[in-house]
Amino acid sequence: MQKDATLDAKGLMCPMPIVQLAKKVKEMKSGQILELLADDVGAKEDVPAWCSRTGHQLVGTEQEGNILRFYIKMK
Amino acid sequence: MTDKMCMVVSEGTFDKAYMPLIMGTAAASMGTEVHVFYTFFGTGLLKKVAKPRLPGMYRLFTGVFQKKMKKVGIPPHDEMMQQAMDMGVSFYACSTTMDLMGVKEADLKKGVKVLGAAAFLKLAMESKITLFIG
Repeated sequence: MQKDATLDAKGLMCPMPIVQLAKKVKEMKSGQILELLADDVGAKEDVPAWCSRTGHQLVGTEQEGNILRFYIKMK
Repeated sequence: MTDKMCMVVSEGTFDKAYMPLIMGTAAASMGTEVHVFYTFFGTGLLKKVAKPRLPGMYRLFTGVFQKKMKKVGIPPHDEMMQQAMDMGVSFYACSTTMDLMGVKEADLKKGVKVLGAAAFLKLAMESKITLFIG
């Protein structure tokens, strides 16, 4: 999937992936796509929950082994 | 209007110290306004330098825990509290227990406000979530 930026949150545990995510989106523009990498099992549910609360759109999720890859479209 | 969340922290051990910071930073990152009120044994966590230890005999393993947490990206207590503040989380010290616990206003971290029960309850009544950590 095409992306405008990547945030690597591998190795970080809850709540750090979404804390970093909230910081990162401030640097992004509306319509851009952010790729987020995480290996915290909690992120699987946390990222969709974060998106539904903040209004950013989760446009794709992939998993390779224990690495989760999220694509988030900025509102 | 932004959603509000309130927490009361009445214990000062390592586990109780981190819970409001983890919940608070997570909530703040979701755009929620977060207020944390420290009372009784929690009040000491608001001092300029706070080094909470695990409860009981486990206190001896605090360092091991701290190292593990650092490894997964969770910073030391004071650093994480500062991070929460930078994200807009508000921290309050209970005025009555400050006296009781021997914590002076000058001992508090910058940005911490002293609050009475009624003022905090007003915030709690306006909140969607109120958690008690003790």
